[in-house]
Amino acid sequence: MISDIFVMSLEALRSHKARTFLTIMGIIIGISSVIIVTTSGASVEKFIEDQWNVFNPTGMVVGTGSPGPTPHISFGETVFTNRDVENIKNLPHVKNVAPVGIVPLKKISEREGFLKWVSMPGGSMYASTPDMLYVLSLNIKEGRVFEEGKKEIVVSESLLNIFGKDKKLKVGDVIYLQRLDGIPIKSKIVGILKDSEEFNILSQLTTPSILGPIKPYYSTFFGSNVGPPLKKVTAYSILYATASDKTNIETSKNEILDYLNRGESDAINYKQKNVDFVVISQEFILNRIDQIVNAVSMLITIIAFISLIVGGIGIANIMYATVTERTREIGTMMAIGAKRRYILQLFLFQSMIVGFLGGILGCILGASGSVITVEFLGNYIERLAAGAYSGKILVIFSWEWFILSLLFGIAIGVFAGVLPARKAAKMDPVVALRYQ
Amino acid sequence: MARDIAVDIQSVTKIYKSGKKDFKALNNVSLKVFRGDFLAFMGPSGSGKSTLMNLIGCLDRASSGEIYIHGQSLSRLNDNQLAEIRGKQIGFIFQDFNLIPTMNALKNVILPMILAGFPRSNRESNALSLLKKVELDNWATHLPAELSGGEKQRVAIARAIANNPSLILADEPTGNLDTKTGENVMELLSSVNKEGKTILLVTHDPSLTKYTNRVVNIKDGEVYEKR
Repeated sequence: MISDIFVMSLEALRSHKARTFLTIMGIIIGISSVIIVTTSGASVEKFIEDQWNVFNPTGMVVGTGSPGPTPHISFGETVFTNRDVENIKNLPHVKNVAPVGIVPLKKISEREGFLKWVSMPGGSMYASTPDMLYVLSLNIKEGRVFEEGKKEIVVSESLLNIFGKDKKLKVGDVIYLQRLDGIPIKSKIVGILKDSEEFNILSQLTTPSILGPIKPYYSTFFGSNVGPPLKKVTAYSILYATASDKTNIETSKNEILDYLNRGESDAINYKQKNVDFVVISQEFILNRIDQIVNAVSMLITIIAFISLIVGGIGIANIMYATVTERTREIGTMMAIGAKRRYILQLFLFQSMIVGFLGGILGCILGASGSVITVEFLGNYIERLAAGAYSGKILVIFSWEWFILSLLFGIAIGVFAGVLPARKAAKMDPVVALRYQ
Repeated sequence: MARDIAVDIQSVTKIYKSGKKDFKALNNVSLKVFRGDFLAFMGPSGSGKSTLMNLIGCLDRASSGEIYIHGQSLSRLNDNQLAEIRGKQIGFIFQDFNLIPTMNALKNVILPMILAGFPRSNRESNALSLLKKVELDNWATHLPAELSGGEKQRVAIARAIANNPSLILADEPTGNLDTKTGENVMELLSSVNKEGKTILLVTHDPSLTKYTNRVVNIKDGEVYEKR
């Protein structure tokens, strides 16, 4: 019986192809936009997450500033000493610590002949320990890492072309790094950093193209010292650290803060009273990015859902029109034995089928639309970042949205169909038969 | 020998409420219809014939009085039970044919079988033999729009007898047909009547009474039968 009514509903829809198609389109557009938005959101989120993961998932930045829900690090004060670096490194859940000595460069020069120099304006370099390579997930492609106390540097591949493609630098070459204080340091390139897909937007922002040891590049630089005039020690404004494991990022963060605040650290003595120690983990940054992406996709999803509801109103509208148009048929069917229940089912099935088909087709269109949209976003990011990012943005389907949209499509079909179908089922057969 | 009573109408009154005024469409009507009768209701428009047909056809309820169909009282039945009686014991034929326009002739005949819950297996062969009976078996796959008026009414007759009802209600079945076609339809109804089915006919056309064995006049909600 019920299967016969279902078949009759299908036939009724088939006999009004254009109307059925347009009604289904309303749902298709709603469902597919929900899916495109959620899929693109998930894909972008994953992409950004991947960018950070290259940096090092357990990484964190230690500095001074203001903690709290939106922590802020000010780079001004140099407070962390080498002893602090050693002590933090020995904390149970900390794996690596690299001090960040930022050395601004005036220019980078090469000697071409006895009195002939070529110079290029330089940005800045990082002076640190070899641990820096680990913390930033950097690898040496060629040569070796620098040694503490020697005038050795490792450089990024992009720096090799600084004097022109025809004068490409290589391992063993000597260049002159002129610091902001005017002192030039004759430096030997001992290694080249791998510049493959592991290089990304964010590590480009955080990693300068030149890395060298603390001494002599940083320790002799003005402003790198703290303490009384006769007992000056080298100090840093920020440290990069990594936790021993992804699961104890929070633990190691607390250990570091504990150590710094306990009073045995040098930093507590050197920092100003009105600032606090701050540790920002990469996890925290990732969560923030997650939150932002989620908020944006939530907003667009709401808009997409509104279009789905508009589609539902379309179903209700057309079902009302259909019920009115078929009033006489309804009367006839009642006369030849149709119970009110069957009439209800007949119209409810129709709107459910519209909702279901709209849902299925919307999922298919949404899936293919997502691929195109993500491809488009990928191209956009590529242009935006001019190739300075790793990997490709991949389509991440969030299947729960497919199921949810499908169920929502059917639910909309049911809700949109209930009132018109009830109207049909409640008709007085005598009146319906007389309807012109 | 007393004949079986097909429809027993006892003191039925039907009042329509329209605004503040009540309109009495049927006034204390009593009538017995016997099994095998071919009865014509005649009367001017607004006399109450259609109201009476609607009550007998279980489409509407009497305000007072009682109607029995094959001994079954209608007043205590709920909507579903009335629908069941309509589907299984009564066949309807309308002036405008009232075929479902999106279904072909065969499906229109099958429809009452579906609604009555008959098994799928022999519906189609039954419907085909019914169409053969009204000489339309070659038109089974045609939509109503592709049939002439007479053909539509023959499909409607096939639909009316699809569930082998004992009672057939025909409301002006020839009203939209030319004389010749109308006669064909009446011949067909007559042959159905001869198979033992009780037929109640509403008509304006006195010439149709030659097919019937009883004529009941209705005027101002009251019935008068010529003996």
